[in-house]
Amino acid sequence: MLALKRRRMSRICPGFLTVCLLLAAFCSAPALAESQQEILFFPSIDTFDSFDESDSAEIDNFQRASLDLLYTYSGDRVRFLGEYLWSSNEAELERLKAGWQARDNTMLWLGRYHATAKHWTTEYHHGQFLQTSITRPSLEEWEDESGPTPSHVTGLSLEYDHERDDESAVSFAFSAGLTARFEGDELVAFDLLDPHSGHGPGLNFKVAYRPDFLSPLQFGFLSAWHEISVVSGSSPSLTDLDEITQWTVGGFVDWRWNDLRLISSVVYFDNVLDYVDEDVSDSFWLSYVQFEYEFGDDFTFFGRTDNGFEEDNSPYLRLLPAFIAHRHMLGLRWDVANFHSLTVEAADTSQQGEGLDYDNFKEIRLQWSAVFP
Amino acid sequence: MRSACTILALVVFGCLLPQLADAERMVVLITGESCPVHELSTLDIRKAYLSVAVSVDGHVIRPFRLAGDELLSQIFYQSIVSMSQKSYERRALSMAVKYGTPRPAVFDDVESAVDAVRRLQCGVLYLWKEDADSLDSVRIIKLLWQGD
Repeated sequence: MLALKRRRMSRICPGFLTVCLLLAAFCSAPALAESQQEILFFPSIDTFDSFDESDSAEIDNFQRASLDLLYTYSGDRVRFLGEYLWSSNEAELERLKAGWQARDNTMLWLGRYHATAKHWTTEYHHGQFLQTSITRPSLEEWEDESGPTPSHVTGLSLEYDHERDDESAVSFAFSAGLTARFEGDELVAFDLLDPHSGHGPGLNFKVAYRPDFLSPLQFGFLSAWHEISVVSGSSPSLTDLDEITQWTVGGFVDWRWNDLRLISSVVYFDNVLDYVDEDVSDSFWLSYVQFEYEFGDDFTFFGRTDNGFEEDNSPYLRLLPAFIAHRHMLGLRWDVANFHSLTVEAADTSQQGEGLDYDNFKEIRLQWSAVFP
Repeated sequence: MRSACTILALVVFGCLLPQLADAERMVVLITGESCPVHELSTLDIRKAYLSVAVSVDGHVIRPFRLAGDELLSQIFYQSIVSMSQKSYERRALSMAVKYGTPRPAVFDDVESAVDAVRRLQCGVLYLWKEDADSLDSVRIIKLLWQGD
């Protein structure tokens, strides 16, 4: 994993050039009369400490600083979005896509984007300040954090909102493109700067119902299919494994009752691990349920459980030793000012680990996050 | 006795004057003179300020905001977008991150904001009617709020 991180760091220079191009476009803004654009900075600083670890667990404590830079441009019919993330241990071009607005409620995008069939990911992306908790649900973790499904796809995506007469809406999103491949002990997303990397295709679909078109309340279904190429020689655990075909289907809900919020997703996984001499089938469920309660004007108490069903002996999840199999977490967020927050989170966590048993530990995290301007 | 009554009447009138003035105050939506859009629904205005794409007869509506006037800002949150300041700011941020739609540009003074409206074909801006009445090259397309 360290080698992969180092390789990502070596791509800082081309990525930096991309960011410079974005900034140059931003600086030439006044010439573009019928357009609007914006640059957003999402900085955050995290500390992580673990304790009460099981014998097999080797958990490293860390401090991490991150900066997510987002550039958006909106012309009459054309949109552009670029997102670049720097942190203490990686630098990566996360999203780079250009969109054409066919109608007010229909967008066609081309580029690298976040997988459509993930609710949390498509709500918050890398904007740490926007999500209440410090951690993401393990179901929606990024590829380089041992996420179980591809988070980045490069290709085409279509978004369509069907507005109804009562101001409710049904939103459809469909995407097709190059998905992640399996290398070492994690998935690796398709890299725009390395187009000949042998990634397979992926399809994503999400449909959501919103009772008020302009409100974030919604529930719906999502499904994805990925043909995940495997770099067999990159890890002993991948020997003789050619490809993984992964199909997922699930539901999500994001609802509020006054100060109380529920955000949850349940996803069924059906994996086929295509070894040289046999196919291994593997199916299980992963889910998360997060409750948030706002009190006072500036405080949010929250808790989440990440859990699964029939996932304990999954051959696929065994390939992801850093995957968080279970996490039971409580936390408190304080919105210090309009765009700054301090968050503390404590959890009882089980990580997949290298052996047959989970690595168990308790963790405590602190975070400052903000958005500028 | 008569002078006492006169003083009392003046005091009462003096107390009522600000309220009468408030009752006459109106917030309106303006656009550039060259914009062919003559009518915009309340829902479309709300959508535009929440960074949802709105076009009327092929003309894209570009919203601008004015900061610095506390009462005007309160009217914006309560009557135009119908949500608290915190909810609005988060929602607009979320739309930028999700759909790549920039948040409406915010100006501290009327002159700069109106300049921005004039530069775009269908830029829209909410402001006090007394400010709008004194402006050239813009026209009022909707009454958004009236003091009661």
